[in-house]
Amino acid sequence: MNLDYLFNPESIALIGAAHTEEKLGGVILKNLLRFRGTVYPVNPNYNELMGLKAFRSVQEIPGFVDLCIIMRPANEVNAIFKELKGKTGCAIVVSSGFSEIGNTGPQDELKRLGREANIRILGPNCMGLFNPHKNLDTFFLPHERLRRPGKGNTAIVSQSGAILSCLLGAMQSSNIGVSKAVTYGNAIDIDESDLYEYLAGDAQTDVVISYIESVGDGRRFIEKAKKLSGKKSLIILKSGKSQSGQSAAFSHTGRLAGRYEVFSSIIRQSGISEASDLDELTDSAKALSYQRPFKGNRVLIITNGGGSGVLAADECMRQGLEVAELPDEKREKLKKAFPYFYGIHNPLDLTGQVKDEDYITALDELTDAYDGFMVIALPNVIGITERFPALMKNFRMRTDKPVVSYMAQSGITKKLTVLLERSKIPVFSSPERAVRALRTLLL
Amino acid sequence: MTTEHKDNSVAEMLRKFLERNRHKTVFLEHEVKGLLRELGISTPKGMFISAAESVPSSHALAYPLVAKVSSSKITSKSEVHGVRTGLKNIDELTIAVRELMHIENAEGALIEEMAPQGVEIVAGGIIDEQFGPVVMFGLGGVFVELFRDISFALAPLKKEDALHLIQQVKGYKILTGYRGRPQTDIDALVKVLVITSEIISTELIREIDLNPVVLYPDSAIALDAKILKGEV
Repeated sequence: MNLDYLFNPESIALIGAAHTEEKLGGVILKNLLRFRGTVYPVNPNYNELMGLKAFRSVQEIPGFVDLCIIMRPANEVNAIFKELKGKTGCAIVVSSGFSEIGNTGPQDELKRLGREANIRILGPNCMGLFNPHKNLDTFFLPHERLRRPGKGNTAIVSQSGAILSCLLGAMQSSNIGVSKAVTYGNAIDIDESDLYEYLAGDAQTDVVISYIESVGDGRRFIEKAKKLSGKKSLIILKSGKSQSGQSAAFSHTGRLAGRYEVFSSIIRQSGISEASDLDELTDSAKALSYQRPFKGNRVLIITNGGGSGVLAADECMRQGLEVAELPDEKREKLKKAFPYFYGIHNPLDLTGQVKDEDYITALDELTDAYDGFMVIALPNVIGITERFPALMKNFRMRTDKPVVSYMAQSGITKKLTVLLERSKIPVFSSPERAVRALRTLLL
Repeated sequence: MTTEHKDNSVAEMLRKFLERNRHKTVFLEHEVKGLLRELGISTPKGMFISAAESVPSSHALAYPLVAKVSSSKITSKSEVHGVRTGLKNIDELTIAVRELMHIENAEGALIEEMAPQGVEIVAGGIIDEQFGPVVMFGLGGVFVELFRDISFALAPLKKEDALHLIQQVKGYKILTGYRGRPQTDIDALVKVLVITSEIISTELIREIDLNPVVLYPDSAIALDAKILKGEV
């Protein structure tokens, strides 16, 4: 089973291409103009579209087309699909109006046609995919409305196109690079299991985040998810948490077995990570895409504000991370190095009189004593300056242990964040979020 | 107690049980418990008295006893006041059974030795739409009702899977002698879960519910059990 026609095509036909960006078929065509390969717009009413030769039908295109995108109303899709036999290896059916509105008959027929013609189908009711390594972008979203993230090591697998677009936006603003982003909608053929299998073998992907509404074959899903998470980081966000148990009366078990409870319980036991919400999903993706996981659970919290340090320690406790006291001899050494009013414990409090270098003095002394580092910088005091990111970058290069940061809002936060994240230290907007992200890098 | 049960033998015994009872739409409690005992799950010592019979003057059960109404039409015995506990002698037993037989739709009464206090758990199995046969474990009483402290796993379970399943619930410590309580027989619990998982993974039935199973330092006993018929 190979999805190369989908992810790495050399040629693409867009059935339902339009001449203007006022139409979705025009937005897709505009985005496809960036593609490093051949694009064939298909529309019987035009000889040329956006500078490309247009074709009246797929049959008129010379030779084999790796990937076809169908962007026509649902009631035309099956007739169009019949013309693809022998002509293509994979079809993305963007059109909606199938099982999601109860229209299952035509969808079943499409599934049958796909099997018969040996053409893989993504969708229907999906936005297709984004592969920045090939400049391949089948989304009907203009770049002015959704800036795409750059190239990176994180793949997004989303059942919903809308959620995918939210995640892409969040990743773009969190400086997370993308390897592949794909939506699969009603999943009549290619589903999350197929995509996990493909991504497990994809050299450009280290982290996979996956948004799931429902799984078809749960056993196969577990098998593929386990395999993927054995090789790479996989984090799943499942929606539909409030659905109750299926059989009302007969047994306790039936009443308690809500679809989500069963799902969550089983993936937890299979060692697969689950995010509880969108924030956690993107925060985990950020941490895992920036840094490598490390085995251990001992955390050093270093801060220039007592309260934030305690909040971080509280969250560590909730997450099962240990905030152990400093080793005695290290404490003695740091006591001599620092002013008497610094709090030489864990959390280590550098107070409002902090200087940039103090963080590094402490971190260097304690690198070996802990497994992960939570660095809190409240840059509204004068002691934290624009030199801070460079110092942190140097420390980061001296260790392979996870380092995350919480930074409060101040006049220079944005600047510092960009610099820190450029050196792969993820910055979060609350101590709790930073600790939860650190947790995904530990244990 | 017997030790290991092979998957096919559970399926075989279940198939025979269903064959024997093929004319029935619902199984009575003593029938289900009979099956469980065959499969290696302990239940209280007891006897079934049909509506046509009366309480025998002598029997081998040790007081105190509990008497429960049996009916294929009654889903909740407590709702129809169909349970009498703490019966200390033959007179109390006779009165209790006579009362139970007067409950609408009563087909008989199940009389059992009263189980001493222990730690209650729930074990069950369902056929899930997404995952197929799935087994559930939860701590009994308020833990399952109020806190939904339950966990699920794919059936059938190996012993290690069952142990892992048990350790998933938040109240796991209750089973291992929390605050001076006696330690419970985890091996016996594992066995109950493994057998339950093997029953549901035959897909010959739709649901099974052992609620509660009481755990003691050296055993596990299923006090109530239900099976929902119907091939999947």
